[in-house]
Amino acid sequence: MGKRLDLTLRIWRQKNTNSSGEFVTYDLENVDVNASFLEMLDVLNEKLTLSGDEPVAFEHDCREGICGSCGAMVNGKAHGGEDKTTLCQLHMRHFKSGDVIVIEPFRAKALPVVKDLVVDRSALDRIIESGGYISVKTGSAPEANQILVKKDLADRAMDAASCIGCSACVAACPNASAMLFTSAKVVHLGSLPQGSTEAASRVINMVDEMKTNGFGNCSNEYLCEAACPKGIKVSNIAKMNQWYKQAMTNQPLSE
Amino acid sequence: MIKQYIQSQIGKKQLVAITGLALILFVMFHLSANLLLFLGPDYFNFFPELIHSTGIGLRVIESGLAAVFFLHIGLTVALVRQNRKARGQQYKSVDYSNRSIATRLMPYTGMILLLFLAIHINDFVLQDHSGVKSIVGGESLGLYGLVYNAFANPFRVGLYVLGVFSLGFHLSHGIQSVVQTLGYSHPKYTPIIKHMSRGLGVLVAVLFASIPFYFSYMNIVGCCYVS
Amino acid sequence: MSHKLNSKVPTGDIDKQWDSHRFNLKLINPSNRRKYRIIIVGTGLAGASAAASFAEMGYSVDVFCFQDSPRRAHSIAAQGGINAAKNYCNDGDSIYRLFHDTIKGGDFRARESNVYRLAQNSVNIIDQCVAQGVPFAREYGGHLANRSFGGAQVSRTFYAKGQTGQQLLLGAYSAMMKEVHRKRIRLHTKTEMLDLVLVDGKARGIITRHLETGKIEAHAAETVILATGGYSNVFFLSTNAKGCNVTATWRAHKKGAFFANPCFTQIHPTCIPVKGDYQSKLTLMSESLRNDGRVWVPKDKNDTRHPNDIPDAERYYYLEERYPSFGNLVPRDLASRNAKYVCDEGLGVGATGLAVYLDFADAIKRDGRSAIEQRYGNLFEIYERITGDDPYTQPMMIYPAVHYTMGGLWVDYNLMSTIPGLHVLGEANFSDHGANRLGASALMQGLSDGYFVAPYTVPDYLATTDLETVDTAHPEFVTAIQNCESRIEKLLSIKGDKTVDDFHRELGLIMWDKCGMSRSQSGLEEALDAVKNLEKEFWTRVNVPGSGEALNQSLEKAGRVADFFEFSKLKIQDALHRNESCGGHFREEYQSGDGEAVRDDANFRYVAAWELDPETGEEVLHKEPLEFPNAPLSTRSYK
Repeated sequence: MGKRLDLTLRIWRQKNTNSSGEFVTYDLENVDVNASFLEMLDVLNEKLTLSGDEPVAFEHDCREGICGSCGAMVNGKAHGGEDKTTLCQLHMRHFKSGDVIVIEPFRAKALPVVKDLVVDRSALDRIIESGGYISVKTGSAPEANQILVKKDLADRAMDAASCIGCSACVAACPNASAMLFTSAKVVHLGSLPQGSTEAASRVINMVDEMKTNGFGNCSNEYLCEAACPKGIKVSNIAKMNQWYKQAMTNQPLSE
Repeated sequence: MIKQYIQSQIGKKQLVAITGLALILFVMFHLSANLLLFLGPDYFNFFPELIHSTGIGLRVIESGLAAVFFLHIGLTVALVRQNRKARGQQYKSVDYSNRSIATRLMPYTGMILLLFLAIHINDFVLQDHSGVKSIVGGESLGLYGLVYNAFANPFRVGLYVLGVFSLGFHLSHGIQSVVQTLGYSHPKYTPIIKHMSRGLGVLVAVLFASIPFYFSYMNIVGCCYVS
Repeated sequence: MSHKLNSKVPTGDIDKQWDSHRFNLKLINPSNRRKYRIIIVGTGLAGASAAASFAEMGYSVDVFCFQDSPRRAHSIAAQGGINAAKNYCNDGDSIYRLFHDTIKGGDFRARESNVYRLAQNSVNIIDQCVAQGVPFAREYGGHLANRSFGGAQVSRTFYAKGQTGQQLLLGAYSAMMKEVHRKRIRLHTKTEMLDLVLVDGKARGIITRHLETGKIEAHAAETVILATGGYSNVFFLSTNAKGCNVTATWRAHKKGAFFANPCFTQIHPTCIPVKGDYQSKLTLMSESLRNDGRVWVPKDKNDTRHPNDIPDAERYYYLEERYPSFGNLVPRDLASRNAKYVCDEGLGVGATGLAVYLDFADAIKRDGRSAIEQRYGNLFEIYERITGDDPYTQPMMIYPAVHYTMGGLWVDYNLMSTIPGLHVLGEANFSDHGANRLGASALMQGLSDGYFVAPYTVPDYLATTDLETVDTAHPEFVTAIQNCESRIEKLLSIKGDKTVDDFHRELGLIMWDKCGMSRSQSGLEEALDAVKNLEKEFWTRVNVPGSGEALNQSLEKAGRVADFFEFSKLKIQDALHRNESCGGHFREEYQSGDGEAVRDDANFRYVAAWELDPETGEEVLHKEPLEFPNAPLSTRSYK
């Protein structure tokens, strides 16, 4: 058993999308420092259930930092602000007894609150739907090693592809922009020879879809990069800007 | 295509960047011309007189500059309005402590600049360059004289220092932002550009600010060019 | 073979079976395809790849997932890689070798024909994924890179950093989203399947609950495909995502689909140990760690010293001592079981005594810290993030955890269950891994089923079956909706004094203790009683707060746990009946003098497929005998 913490939690409670929410304060004692942040919320929810209250709704699934389900603003920082850490991988040893922890959902007009800390991120799926793919049908692929990919481009594609779609970038951006998310997919696919054929239409359509969904604009503050649990770089945004400009002026996209 | 580009999020931003870049170049030119003030009226007045002698050319340059300027502002206002709407319900607890101050203040430094520019144009552009306000020691020193007399007023000195520091702040974010928005990124050079952007912002502010201070000092000790 | 089981395995040479079978399958004219609606439940590798493939061919597809985005299905968590018999390394690999390794690795409890087809398809999977933009690791020349994985003697594993599962899923997901864009696929996220609906004995639809609105809905189709994953979460603590559940397959079982080999569970030896009673899930550390790490416990059970202070002579390197030739690289089940044995002897370490050390000190001394950092840097980082301990300066602590389930709904060679029109893909079926799955093979199976098997076999069912028009007004749908609603009402009405997690945790402990790494008749019998009692208690004392008309995560969990209760009884029954030790199923009564598993090929060389008798409520055993003409039976030895 590890050390124990006594905490005060201020959690955003909201019944559904249409209702207005508010912060509710809970005291939680005896939290093990080895517990993860979500496990701490589990403990709270068990307590709430048995006392006849409704547990706090929060999204989660794999709890190992890869599915991208979890996320909330913890003390004003997306995922709690630890470097490259999702909320499920944030551990209570980063807090101390007596701390007041403020927990608020990710906020953006494009990501409306569903309940408590759960937000609707289907806008991100719609951005992918608008062009985040390579149009190859099952069965029509050539032999894999016929497509050679330069190692630096393969590495760039891999780094961009690490995005888990958690929306922390949107949450952390002062303008609720989805540029980091969108650029990660644009650069992942556009860096590869098999994805370059559609790269121009892809970047145009995906950028357009961002706006349709009501995301804000990039103001180059790079808070998205700081909040990203997978270390996606804003150089992807620069690359997307460049490709967008080239695509709109019918120039070939640079590498 | 052009319409789609202007309506798009990236297109707007890139136009802001391009117009911003043009304004940066203008500011650099303006600054170099300003530095001639230190060499005295003979050197400094050469430029304004040359420009005025072009007649219609001056009007073209001025309206071009104004168009760029208002495009820069107009598009920015459109972007900022979209950004304000994009959050929806505001955060109650957000921690922006790692946000750079220059970036955060962009819209505000921009607004101060706009005000400052109005005053600045009224002070130096709309005045008669050989009028009463240009007379120093009984002799008209042209635009140089206007500048000399303007900074006799410590209130104006303060106003100009505030104005040029807003400009410096604005540029310190703006220069690296232009590079990012137009899509240039390099693992080695991008961080250097960010530092340079900041450095350049400070340099521009300091150099511009040196002028009101210099003339304020000159007003106290007396102008050396007056016989 | 039981007369109720027809595996439809083609005759002839094994390497020609799939080709000749494919030729014999009936086709549907492209212009008619859109008239056929196909329901796919689950958007992991199998579900997403099948959805994309069917939509591309022109079928009307409805896809369901309980996650808020199909990209979050649990395939995403697979780290290691995906096998394929490409033989890019020229090191002796072939389709036949991959087939042989998989059959042997499964301890001769899988169907030869299916496994051979899997090995054949593996080659096309890599092509398909590369074309979709999956960023596999590459050599400097631009060619694909391979590594050896999980003790394989050839380098046939393709990988994308430590995120192969994620990248493959994003490939399948994007292929699917492309079809959502073309309006060929209707995507239903946050929608959980509650029941399967049969009309005239054929699978014709499902009942779902929308998790945000609570709305119960019926969906009709010409065929239903389940790709809903495994049942590891019956143990509460596993490496599976929290949402993984048995509900879809269990509901299908209750409607007549046979459940095959439910006792086969894979335990992964290198997971981060349980720290306390708040623990909600276990995290897997890649098996590759055992390449350089040495596993040990203190020789003295009362040794409370810091591991760094225990001298070499007082450490028990039990794997190296017991298996001198394979040492720390013995297969997953042996490594897991031995960890349990030393902990049972009281030699376990850590606060709970349920952990062993995995020590890199010698490797760091030998190869230098930077070499180890390069090989395992990201894993060490994960470990430190979770435990707060630095594995560079002190040994890691590890313990086995449930990781994958080989059992699942019984399917024939066409991946159709015993219910006509119900197809089952990926981990949800039983088909390809026998009693034990090899590393980097799960991803391969999911994609093989979805891209390259179901797209051929499902149309054959549609083309050869008389399917009358059915819509959701049909009485079968109406009744099924009522049943789902009354079950939800029941769960909500109990308002007892224990939470759903309380029950799930208790169930998990029983299953882990008695039906986990090592099983015995008496233990299993005790477990069966304990589960029955706990289940009774569940239905009288569970507290599910809130209502059914909104997002209610407790209610979601309660429905899943109720199904885990029912399922766990069958799992125990299957483990009880299988009087042998094979693969992931180890019965203490059936071991050699030195603790090796003893398989009983004479009596248990079959697939155990269980049918729920609707009259009596009893589970009836049907046997599908297994033949191994191409991969002769052998006994493994790692001494």
